[in-house]
Amino acid sequence: MFKLAISGVLCFICAYLGIVGKNYYDKRCAYLKDFMNFTSSLRNGISYSQDRLPQIGRNFIASGNVKRGFYSNLSAYLEIADSGGGTREQIEKCFDSKYLSKADKVVIKDFFFELGKYDYDTQMSKLEFTCAQMKKTVEKAEKESKTTGNLLAKLGLILGIAIMIILA
Amino acid sequence: METLLSKLLPISVFNEIYKVANLNLLTEIRFRTGRCVYYAEAGKYKRLDGCVATKDDVAHILGAATKSSLYAYNKRLADGYITYDGGIRIGVSGEGVMKNGELSTLKNITSVCIRVPRFVQIKDSKIDELVKKFDNTLIISKPGYGKTTLLRYMIKTLSDREYNVLVLDERGELGGVVEGESLLDLGACTDIAVGVPKITSYSSQVRSMRPDIIATDEIFGEKETQCILDCIRCGVKVIATLHSDELIKVKRSPIYSRLLNDFRYVVTIIGIGNIDRVIDLRGNYV
Repeated sequence: MFKLAISGVLCFICAYLGIVGKNYYDKRCAYLKDFMNFTSSLRNGISYSQDRLPQIGRNFIASGNVKRGFYSNLSAYLEIADSGGGTREQIEKCFDSKYLSKADKVVIKDFFFELGKYDYDTQMSKLEFTCAQMKKTVEKAEKESKTTGNLLAKLGLILGIAIMIILA
Repeated sequence: METLLSKLLPISVFNEIYKVANLNLLTEIRFRTGRCVYYAEAGKYKRLDGCVATKDDVAHILGAATKSSLYAYNKRLADGYITYDGGIRIGVSGEGVMKNGELSTLKNITSVCIRVPRFVQIKDSKIDELVKKFDNTLIISKPGYGKTTLLRYMIKTLSDREYNVLVLDERGELGGVVEGESLLDLGACTDIAVGVPKITSYSSQVRSMRPDIIATDEIFGEKETQCILDCIRCGVKVIATLHSDELIKVKRSPIYSRLLNDFRYVVTIIGIGNIDRVIDLRGNYV
């Protein structure tokens, strides 16, 4: 009976870890998609109406298509942008998401640190570059979420069942 | 104004200025990257010891003034200034970016000159006399000598005498308007057209607002001169400022000398609140 209980708990832990792994990939993918959509929104806001950055950001948030992770980071950043932009550390702190890889963080933090510091043409070309870069990153993240994420979830469950069988 | 400055300036510089300067007299703060920060109290420059302007300081000021949206200020930068809340004007200089043979914007900005608007009560019998028998008036002086300050004072005084004064405040500097509210008292009968290109305002606002007096700062170029002459022809009085250190130089200018045919008074200034002469072009000194 005791063995069964232990194996049940272990099975649950393995399955849970698998789901956590999958969740990481899903959340990363959602975060990057939100970021990509925000860059598109910026591109439109800047090129058509030359709206100020905080205004574009608030409109984007108000559209309601943003997931919680990026939403809270962007809101924190907009407060800094409203006051004229903070230090590199302050901006970097806004985007310290646990769902992002090191490489993602470098791209996003650099992007936001440099945002709004250039003239129109330079800003637009930087945006175009980031949009193109993010398109590829999101595609890759989606693929990873489907393959590695699903694999992790399944592996977790299988490992848990395997442990249960062995212990039983 | 103190709150606005605290938002605009890097905190270290603001703290230093707050300690040593009289904020009620502060008229200008200058940043040149790698050099000491200077500030002016009532037009007199003083060095802010221990404060060396850095690239980050300049970036902070531009970020605060543009709400982190420098891209939206291309034209303003090409014109050499940005207007911040409360009529604070930020002059900039840096590297020009050319597009199709024209200056498109500035980049790598190295110098920033923050001009803080003030309402100064001017106690001068010549000005009191001028206000009493008001007619078209041209205020001339070198930059930074207080033309705008005198213009502001005259707007308020004339407005309080129940003239409808229309202020053409293209750069938002005269009234210090923040979100539709003027931070500087320009009188009871003053209408302010903020951010509207002056050339457009002369024709549209004269028709719509029916002013007795039009007040405008820093006349520049032939087009504006012609607009002003047209307004005077319509029967509207004009009070305007012009960069020039001597009346004789205005007389020699093919563009601005035309103004002297229709303007009655010329005021020359030798410092903030310090009137040199009021010249009646149809007679003698006032």
